[in-house]
Amino acid sequence: MNYLYDDTFEGFLTCVWHHWRTARAEGIFSDRGVYQLDLTRYAQSVETDQAKADIVADAIERKISRWDAARVYRVFCTNEPEKEMKLLRYIRLGFKEGPKIRLLHGHPDVLAVQKAEERFGAEVHRLCGLVRFSELADGILYGAIEPDNDVLAFLAPHFCDRFKSDPFVIHDKRRGKALFAHQRKWEIAAMGEDASVLFSEREADIRALWKQYFGVMETKERHNPKLQRQFLPVRYHKYLTELQG
Amino acid sequence: MENGTFEKLTVLGEGAKYDVSCSSSGADRTNIGRLGNAACAGICHTWTADGRCVSLLKVLLSNDCAYDCKFCVNRRSADVKRCTFEPRELADLTVEFYRRNYIEGLFLSSAVIGSPDRTVELMYKCLWILREEYGFCGYIHAKVIPGVSPELLTQMGLVSDRLSVNMEFPSGESLDRLAPQKKPAQIFSPMRQITQTQLEQRTLKAAGNMKRLRPEGLNVGLGEGNLPDARARAETEDGSGDGGTGTAIVRDRRRRAYRERFAPAGQTTQMIIGATPETDLQIVTLSEALYRRFSMKRVYFSAYIPVAEGPELPSLLTPPPLKREHRLYQADWLLRFYGFRADEILTDEHPFLDVDLDPKVVWALRHLEQFPVEVNRASEEELLRIPGVGNTSVYRILRQRRIAAVTYDDLKKMGVVLKRARFFLTANERYYGDGAWDPSALRARLAPQSPQISLFEAQQHELLVR
Repeated sequence: MNYLYDDTFEGFLTCVWHHWRTARAEGIFSDRGVYQLDLTRYAQSVETDQAKADIVADAIERKISRWDAARVYRVFCTNEPEKEMKLLRYIRLGFKEGPKIRLLHGHPDVLAVQKAEERFGAEVHRLCGLVRFSELADGILYGAIEPDNDVLAFLAPHFCDRFKSDPFVIHDKRRGKALFAHQRKWEIAAMGEDASVLFSEREADIRALWKQYFGVMETKERHNPKLQRQFLPVRYHKYLTELQG
Repeated sequence: MENGTFEKLTVLGEGAKYDVSCSSSGADRTNIGRLGNAACAGICHTWTADGRCVSLLKVLLSNDCAYDCKFCVNRRSADVKRCTFEPRELADLTVEFYRRNYIEGLFLSSAVIGSPDRTVELMYKCLWILREEYGFCGYIHAKVIPGVSPELLTQMGLVSDRLSVNMEFPSGESLDRLAPQKKPAQIFSPMRQITQTQLEQRTLKAAGNMKRLRPEGLNVGLGEGNLPDARARAETEDGSGDGGTGTAIVRDRRRRAYRERFAPAGQTTQMIIGATPETDLQIVTLSEALYRRFSMKRVYFSAYIPVAEGPELPSLLTPPPLKREHRLYQADWLLRFYGFRADEILTDEHPFLDVDLDPKVVWALRHLEQFPVEVNRASEEELLRIPGVGNTSVYRILRQRRIAAVTYDDLKKMGVVLKRARFFLTANERYYGDGAWDPSALRARLAPQSPQISLFEAQQHELLVR
């Protein structure tokens, strides 16, 4: 049996519930992506049910640990291929092993989740440095990103504290949504790809200063673009002020 | 922004980039002012084309230097354009960069404008505007100008997260020769004051895992460096000194929390490698002494890039000794995170680090009698000494061992670098290395397979030593 769900975390937890109560899941797929028809298995749409999702979330917290519940959510926000089945296997193992599951680094089901979580954490940390804001005409700070993983909610605590006096927007262009924040309050809402923005007058000057400074800081005797790319993969270059021509 | 800012930023950024420290770590603070916070792990914001990170806005307040240090781009006798930031101009620029998330904070250094005290007053003015007027809570790293008065240093420490005094060179003689206006005592006395003040505040923390240090390490001298002040430091260390060398800070509860703490991210220093004849043994021993005596957070090494000509200096054609710098950093990591002592890494017979192999492998090859180590029985300290096994892997091995025996496949998944480690460990009594068990055979398997390159580097190395 293949399950199709609506790409929400609650939807995924509902699938986990059905895995237990009705039929074993052999694959769980989001209905937002392209689903490759599988002639050997039945596919069934799973209707998201908050009550069933709560039961599963609660069970994970009680039988495994609160930390693992948070971990399941973090891994759900990654772009890991087949993350749903990997998480399902992790949860099943967790129900058997209890809170010590996180110590079983050598177990393939644990390792898969752990690796995905590491990549996710690394991107969140990296983006804390790589989001570039521009000042808009009305004083709001606006920054666009195209992250691999769905990191917006995880960037919020860091930036909300840092820029508590400035209203700001972080726009995830890949997923068409944005983080809106002001004075430590934040929410995530849809925001179109083509949202146009008008920059403030001094924005161009500050950018020019920053680009100049960035160029000056290179020590020519140590020129090493390969090392630069290692830290700063090309997929992040698009929105970095200092790397725009 | 004024028109001149563009040019000033160019000239003063250029002058500051030879300071290698760029870390923004060590301070953890939420936004208790109006703008900014500090993340304990530090955050890198971009990387320049030389692959080095930009975390802080690293600039000089001024490059109009009164000193004539022979190795420096901004020495009095050099023909460069001179300029000086207005304190407010630099504070404005910092805030604008910070709001756009270009930077994590400010790294402020300066040439000596007139006298050390006058320079530090101007630097303090800029930092004060940032902290008090703009409510800036981001990271600030301030360079201490040797010869500054203790009172001013106290003030600087209260507005900065990290302070650093540059050693410049690994020995007093070299300093005397190349930077005659800077005296070793002027460098050590602020270092001591910073450590002492942090001791009084109970905020002194050792670097990395140096809490692991064994007690016999505490009496390390300053080696061949012959730098003065060893006696005074020893007094600080064992508590027999008067304890009054740090300027006491009376806590004033009305002040904002960030002002109550003196340099919460500790102090660092840096020294230039390859311009002077010191051996790696001297350099590593000196680093160890700095870590132990002053509880420095970091000692940075900077491969000398010839920017000036002179009979005392290597020729302008000398390439910077990058490989040597890299090996020194590896040795530095062994000191801070692996519980090694300087005299274990290097000895009088081998005073230079091996360019082809990392210092941990070299140490293991000299101590084959301690290997192979059985991963399921060895102590934490023994595990840490296996080449290819780091702190994270050790932690994972120890955790898994409580549940199940660690197998060779597990090691791979835990992140152990088996390419090196397999020669030095056994898993469940089985050895996975191949070839003969003697230093030269192992060496041949571990060294990189490119004789031309290593020959070239050996020559380079020789040139620099001479």
